[in-house]
Amino acid sequence: MNRLLFAAVLSAILATGCATSSAPPGTQVAAERLQQTVVPGTTTKAQLLEAFGPTKNVVFDSGYEAWVYQSPAGGGRFSEFVVLINPQGIVVKTRTREATLPAR
Amino acid sequence: MTRLAPVRVVFALALLSSPLAGPAAAQTAGQPATVTVQSTRDPVDKSYRKMIKGMERFARDHALAPNAPLRFQLLPRLPGVNMSGITLRVAGNTVSIPVPVAPDNSFVLPRNEQALREDAAVLASRKTSSMTWRAQIVTPGLPAGTRRLGDMRLECLVGVEAGLVSNSSPLFSWISDALTSPDQVCNSPNGNYLFFADRPVFAVRLRSANGTNERVETLPFNMLYAGGEQTKADLQYCDCQVMLDRTFYAPIWDKSWPDDTLVEFEYMEDTP
Repeated sequence: MNRLLFAAVLSAILATGCATSSAPPGTQVAAERLQQTVVPGTTTKAQLLEAFGPTKNVVFDSGYEAWVYQSPAGGGRFSEFVVLINPQGIVVKTRTREATLPAR
Repeated sequence: MTRLAPVRVVFALALLSSPLAGPAAAQTAGQPATVTVQSTRDPVDKSYRKMIKGMERFARDHALAPNAPLRFQLLPRLPGVNMSGITLRVAGNTVSIPVPVAPDNSFVLPRNEQALREDAAVLASRKTSSMTWRAQIVTPGLPAGTRRLGDMRLECLVGVEAGLVSNSSPLFSWISDALTSPDQVCNSPNGNYLFFADRPVFAVRLRSANGTNERVETLPFNMLYAGGEQTKADLQYCDCQVMLDRTFYAPIWDKSWPDDTLVEFEYMEDTP
């Protein structure tokens, strides 16, 4: 296939993929609920699933997992709440990223 | 800091490489297909000429990291690869130059005119596809657990110029050659140049000071772990395959962050 044609087709596909604006991936949960429910060193993966359901996550070869939740912050903005789960299934760290506009 | 998820590229490539997308779709039943193989060269072989071009790029853009030297580094690409005791040499038709490798698998590539004339290869004592390569440009004296954004900008320019990234699919290599240059990759939010922290990371923060004003921002989740969208099937094509928990994108394209910006790591485990 002609390389220029390939590049044009690929660019069109990529541009289409960029054209939408929506909430970022991850289950939406109110920030207060997350802060109250998730306690590093105590909360388990099973408890997270029971409380909030599945969400976007990455599982690593080490056995660690990173899960991300989105908290609506008004004006179409979302804060991120990220949870680190150790290989034993215990939450070991959490962090919050302040609200931003959704990815476009 | 919005950026395009690389998984879309994987999808697009899969779509366009489908039999329905090419001339094969027009092939009539009963006629055997003819496939012409243009080259059998391993797509991740390292060209000495290209790596020297990367070194020349470093010299041209050294202002991004004025106090940092240039080294290259070998990193694991496939599970189980033994990264201890690797030896390296520049090999041409008549020339063979050993290259000392440091304990962290970094090295300085010597310049040799004979090797350049012979279009030599840079060969390691491991199967080429089992490793990936990066430029390593680190300003001395930075606080522990930090990088400097200007160093990383220059790493990207040098790394792409030198042809170091080892995505293993020939289709990826093909499209990379067709659509990208160092300036395109390193100055675009969709450049998708992957960086690797020294240990698994939980958060990456940018910190810059302008007089008494300090700007601090945490990278969004989709800039960690190669976007967090990769399936196991996608990962085999990514040179982040066995370093996913160390992988991140840095906003090297965003000039609102000065070169002296510190990139701070919060690691998954507090002690190495």
